[in-house]
Amino acid sequence: MAPAEESDVIVRLVDLRKTYMAGSLPVPVLKGLNFTVRRGSFVGIVGTSGSGKSTLLNILGMLDVPTSGQYLLENIAVETLSDTELAIIRNRKIGFIFQSFNLFPHLTIEQNIEVPMLYGRVPARIRRARALELAQKVRLGHRLGHRPTQLSGGECQRVAIARALSNNPAFLLADEPTGNLDEKTGIEIMDLFHKLNQEQGVTIIMVTHNPALESHYDQVIRLRDGLIMEKFSAEGLHQ
Amino acid sequence: MMLPRDLLQLSLHNLLLHKVRSILTSLGVIFGVGSVIAMLAISEGAKRKALSQIEAMGIDKILVYAKKPSVEGTGENAEETGTTERYGLTSRDLVHIRQMDNVERVTLMHDTRQKVRKGIDRMDLKLVAVGYRFLLDSNSRIEQGRWLSPADYKQQSMVCVIGQNVKRKLFNLGQTDIVGSVLRIGQQVFTIVGILHNDNGTQYPELGSPNDMILIPTTTSDAVFGSYSFTMFGRQTRVTLVDYDLFIVTTHEIMHIDDTSKRISAYLQKTHDKVRDWDVLVPLDLLKQREATQNIFTIVMSSIASISLIVGGIGIMNIMLASVYERRKEIGTRRALGAQKSDILVQFLIETVTLTSLGGMLGVVMGIGISQLITLYADMPTVYSIWSIVASLLISSLVGVIFGTYPAWKAAQQNPITVLRAE
Repeated sequence: MAPAEESDVIVRLVDLRKTYMAGSLPVPVLKGLNFTVRRGSFVGIVGTSGSGKSTLLNILGMLDVPTSGQYLLENIAVETLSDTELAIIRNRKIGFIFQSFNLFPHLTIEQNIEVPMLYGRVPARIRRARALELAQKVRLGHRLGHRPTQLSGGECQRVAIARALSNNPAFLLADEPTGNLDEKTGIEIMDLFHKLNQEQGVTIIMVTHNPALESHYDQVIRLRDGLIMEKFSAEGLHQ
Repeated sequence: MMLPRDLLQLSLHNLLLHKVRSILTSLGVIFGVGSVIAMLAISEGAKRKALSQIEAMGIDKILVYAKKPSVEGTGENAEETGTTERYGLTSRDLVHIRQMDNVERVTLMHDTRQKVRKGIDRMDLKLVAVGYRFLLDSNSRIEQGRWLSPADYKQQSMVCVIGQNVKRKLFNLGQTDIVGSVLRIGQQVFTIVGILHNDNGTQYPELGSPNDMILIPTTTSDAVFGSYSFTMFGRQTRVTLVDYDLFIVTTHEIMHIDDTSKRISAYLQKTHDKVRDWDVLVPLDLLKQREATQNIFTIVMSSIASISLIVGGIGIMNIMLASVYERRKEIGTRRALGAQKSDILVQFLIETVTLTSLGGMLGVVMGIGISQLITLYADMPTVYSIWSIVASLLISSLVGVIFGTYPAWKAAQQNPITVLRAE
């Protein structure tokens, strides 16, 4: 493994801890995590329920802040930021993809893809052009005027991926993206992620409990009880 | 924060999604604003009507009038004899009042107390002797023919001008040769020279509207009737002696009208030996009083109406709170995609304010409709001012801000982690 240049590191966690309070009783969920994610990599965070992966996902997605330790996103220390600044960074740097797609049912596909750009204050004309480009990228260019209810699950997730890409984020953060899909569609979606990662160099962090997907990742972080149990890279796979 | 246009579009889009719900939600505000507008229109209409009646008597005028003293009075008057009754304003009063400061002129009115008949039917009309300036001072106009001329006064001509109701009551509809025809009253015959019209609703105390009067020159009246009038009471003849029934006092300075009326009262009090056979009426005072009571009425009525606005606002708040709960997953998703708390807050606030503002507009339309119906069917004048419409619209938007802030704040405070997990 070639020594990573600093500018290549997108995400760096340093002794990251998260403790919830159950009444007056502290419950540690994340007990000191250290890892880095480099630009262009496809990282899988794997763990059973209760391993702390949801909490880690929320922290990586800046919906939650760590109790102690550091989370650096492109060398910005997240814990020092205000709520508004977090929202701005979330908007620009992170592309969320949810298990249940979370599309807005009353908006068209085009409008759904545009939502993050709305919050990024992108002018309407540019938004529309970008939405079309992204829809074509996920092979839904012909369905821009449709609504999510007219689409299959796989197509919905493709819309969600297009939406996540709309502000050119630093990385995609996918939460069990194939969890609500049948096996065949799931594979299609994973192939799409793969293609984006390989051809466009999109950085992807995927949180899942499904060990069957591990072959897709070039870095796997396995969590158990709030600690990294195993961390391995499938080096050479793409190099 | 989102671009304002996008934010507005987003909020309106959400309202259009639930058209029926949006309308039902704003129903409270619609009715609230509607009733406020209708209430203000009705009370403003009533006020205008009352004020114009008072104003028609002249705001620079003081009316001094004779009043028949009550029988259980002090007993100092000639009532005791049972045959002659003397009261009212005298020539001495006239001379004195004419000399007062701030009095520009005094126009006389004297009820001749002659019975006016049509055939054998007694009509409710008065034969009144008036001064030359009466036409001007009573705010009337000549509809046909002419007013009594100075020559008529000089020559004590047997001419009269009739009010428009007199024309209606004494003549047939469509009769055109009224001016120039004659009117027989008692033993006297008067030539009608003109028809007078008073469209201000002027009502003189004790004498009523000029429209119900047959007007003759004071000089003629003095010559043919004098100040005495005779009334039959069973087998007894009662004599009533009243010099003048009413002085229309025109003042120079409205500012000092109170002072002048007080001095007139003081003078009459002194010279009439404490017999209350007179009274003073200042239309301006009446106007002020009426205005004050009307304003209180307006305030009370619109306060009651605005309670329904508050109730409407609370209704909207409830529905918006329910809507926040229902849409918490949408809120969570928006937050994850980069919406700031302020984006969510403003989105929900715009939704509520739009609801109440649209409700306000519909309410204005409804209020105008209601007041039109009232004018049409209840024959009450209604006046809606631009002011009340603008105020209602502003207030309904304000209701949106007041009752929308809490739900919007609540929406912005939703924790994205929890609401995204809730399925």
